[in-house]
Amino acid sequence: MSASGRLALALGVLGLALLVVAALALFVGSAGLSPRAVARALAGQASADSVESVVTLQLRLPRVAAAALAGGALAVAGVAFQGLTRNPLAEPSVLGVSSGAAFGVVLAQVFGLGLSVLQALGVAVFAFAGALLAAGAVYLIARVPGGLSVPTLLLAGVIVGIFFTSAITVLISVVDFNRLGGVVHWLLGNLAPIPPGSLALFALLALVGFGLILRSARELNLLALGEEAATQLGVDAARLKQRVFVAAALLTGTVVAFTGPIGFVGLVVPHMLRGVLGQDNRLLVPAALVAGGVFLLAADTLARNVVAPAELSVGVITSFCGAPFFVYLLRTRYRASL
Amino acid sequence: MSRAFAAGAVLLAALMASPAAALTLRDMLGRDVTLPASPERIVSLVPSVTEIVFSLGASERLVGRTDFCDYPAAVKATPSVGGMVNPSLETLVSLRPDLVVATDEGNREETVRQLERLRIPTYLVHANRIAETVDLITRVGELTGRQAEAPRLAAEMLRRIDAVRRAVARFPRPRVLYVLWPDPLIVPGRASMLTELIDVAGGASITAADGDAYPRFSLEAAVARAPEVIILADHSTGASTAGRPSPEKWQQLASVPAIRAGRLHSADLSLLHRYGPRVPEGLEMLARIIHPEAFR
Amino acid sequence: MSALVEFDDVAFSYPLPAGRQAGFTLAGVSFAIAAGEVFGVIGPNSAGKTTLLRLLTRVVVADRGEVRVDGRPIGRLAHTELARQIAVVPQDMPRPFPFSVEQLVLMGRYPHAPGRFFESEADRTQAAAAMEATGVRHLAALPLEQLSGGERQRAMLARALAQQPRLLVLDEPTSHLDLRYQAETAALLQQMNAERGMTVLLVSHDLHLAAAVCDRLLLLGGGRVARLGPPAEVLQREVLESVFDCAVVVEVNPTSGRPAVQVAWPVPAGRR
Repeated sequence: MSASGRLALALGVLGLALLVVAALALFVGSAGLSPRAVARALAGQASADSVESVVTLQLRLPRVAAAALAGGALAVAGVAFQGLTRNPLAEPSVLGVSSGAAFGVVLAQVFGLGLSVLQALGVAVFAFAGALLAAGAVYLIARVPGGLSVPTLLLAGVIVGIFFTSAITVLISVVDFNRLGGVVHWLLGNLAPIPPGSLALFALLALVGFGLILRSARELNLLALGEEAATQLGVDAARLKQRVFVAAALLTGTVVAFTGPIGFVGLVVPHMLRGVLGQDNRLLVPAALVAGGVFLLAADTLARNVVAPAELSVGVITSFCGAPFFVYLLRTRYRASL
Repeated sequence: MSRAFAAGAVLLAALMASPAAALTLRDMLGRDVTLPASPERIVSLVPSVTEIVFSLGASERLVGRTDFCDYPAAVKATPSVGGMVNPSLETLVSLRPDLVVATDEGNREETVRQLERLRIPTYLVHANRIAETVDLITRVGELTGRQAEAPRLAAEMLRRIDAVRRAVARFPRPRVLYVLWPDPLIVPGRASMLTELIDVAGGASITAADGDAYPRFSLEAAVARAPEVIILADHSTGASTAGRPSPEKWQQLASVPAIRAGRLHSADLSLLHRYGPRVPEGLEMLARIIHPEAFR
Repeated sequence: MSALVEFDDVAFSYPLPAGRQAGFTLAGVSFAIAAGEVFGVIGPNSAGKTTLLRLLTRVVVADRGEVRVDGRPIGRLAHTELARQIAVVPQDMPRPFPFSVEQLVLMGRYPHAPGRFFESEADRTQAAAAMEATGVRHLAALPLEQLSGGERQRAMLARALAQQPRLLVLDEPTSHLDLRYQAETAALLQQMNAERGMTVLLVSHDLHLAAAVCDRLLLLGGGRVARLGPPAEVLQREVLESVFDCAVVVEVNPTSGRPAVQVAWPVPAGRR
């Protein structure tokens, strides 16, 4: 089957999975609504201030959209970082980029941003800047002649991540100690319903980032030949790296700005996709957008319901999946490529 | 012509009046909150407020609480919406509240914002002083239609507090160190009600001038200030022993007067950190620890 | 025969971190490669062979002088245009390389339609033909990492052929191949040249290979052209000894009639 055929099939299957998980997420929750009540609300037949309407349309639906977007964006960012560094262990939280973005968000909040849609854009800008800063720091630390040293890359990611997380704690302790508990909770990664204006902005920024990476997918494949060989094939390697780098930081910053730092999605999802689709980024990037949504939506539905009415942070679920996964990758794939 | 105009104006005013009788109150953080005149379905996200509601006999109006609202025992009959930091919005919404009471110390701003977006009236409270606790009782009375009971509850509280104050008045004030958490050492500072309670109980908190509410403190500095009484907060609940203070670490500080005199005590946390009707109980407990001679 | 590639007084040196002594320089190199010939660049390791290659493919840019392809300065050509003229078979595959042979060969089609997302049917046909030509068609679906050294070499050559270049450049093609694969590579090169009229540029430190397959050789020494001409003229004892700084013995290979250069191995004392 041709590559485009496989892509179409993959997207079809994943799209179906997304619909199923989304439906599950809409029908299951701690409010104890019957499926009929939810269906009524979705069809617009329930009155606007009925419980089912408020819970389904104002709480669950926006949260489902946020989870799908965030998961997709993080998975695509993971594919991008992995293509850039040529290593399957690279992803936004491992590389400390999420922490940099989180620092940006907290800084923005200290400056008083955060409420209206326009201010949400401001927060996203700060998050993007934080993400770029962290990614740049990791890149510079790990750079050796001829590319990136993988062990240094991973260590640098951990260090940069710790640095920014500590910076956040210090900032909050100094500025407003009472809010520390809430900030720590946010740092674990939590999804919450987002108002429609902000959701639209989130979607727009995520799609811009996705588009930039999709455009570069074919060239990202060529980068596997090595920068010199890619250049000899006509790829502008420097520009490509910049473009993908910035786009991945944009995706990470956007997710963190709207939903907080959620880890490991960009590690687990691309790896699972590679097992089925192979290494071609032209297939992985679009598939990751949908598969990431499925993954995070499933994780969030679990987080919302497993100890109801209390809610687990979705970041806890993704870490419980992702950390063992990371170890597994470290011991198998990474070993093999040394 | 002018009569028709006047009639029209009256009609317009009548039409513009809110359908259900509603009032706008200013909450303890200075926000104007519009809520129904007599809220019947209140969700409390603040354990202290839950206690006050029960004490005022208004628990039939309470439809939701948090996992941390554990007093009195009858509160278990009320459904919980989860933690203070991470309540389930869905469960909360499904309880159809017409008022939510929250605090800026313990609940997240994000939660309050979400509630505002859902157009659920949210009343914020905050109490760091005995006087503010009295104010809080009055306000909860207002919110629950117990305007008669509230002053009585408040007056009883003040009476007991005053009794303690008078009982210890003639004794010299020992230096007191209260340990909220041993490691890292967290103590009550300027903005904590506990500082005021220690003062009323006849002690002089050695950390009274420091930090905001509960600053971190160095053990060295604490030792240097030579406290004569050390009180360790006991975080353990009936269910587990986690958080029970371990005195061994403190027994080693042989230079500290409190240790030499054997005046190392533990105190039940929940009595001292809720700003509700049990404040006098906590105060009396403190006073007995600091001035046992006053209560023989 | 017209010149396909011209180096016109090209000079270059790698930028050094401050404080280091002036390192390697390529000082005023001039030569031309004619269309249809097999041209070899030889010399000691630090002579500048790889640098020459990098200058040709615009991985680095000359400090002075001009490199022209088909009469046009390469600075004026777009990167993809240059890639359509020149294809490089690198020394080795970077690790990790998780793609299959077919995916690798298809990468060679990039310069012809860089704007496309997926390759076209025509691209796939070209790739198949290239794999056929180097005898790796039956390995198309296998990951490159599972192939032997010789098969990998041929797969990389197929990728270069898929680029449909006018000049095929090979960088140390036999450096880690068994004798059998060395012979195969040499035969393949000659076949490409004879059947398709493909101009070939060979960069190698293997003087036997260079002597056997090349029409002309460029001997580089210390960043300069030491000698340029047919193998018999270039592979002469005095000039080789001066460039390689080592005693050599030059004989004639009985099969090919070409010069065969050998190090004059030191004989251990007491053993003759």
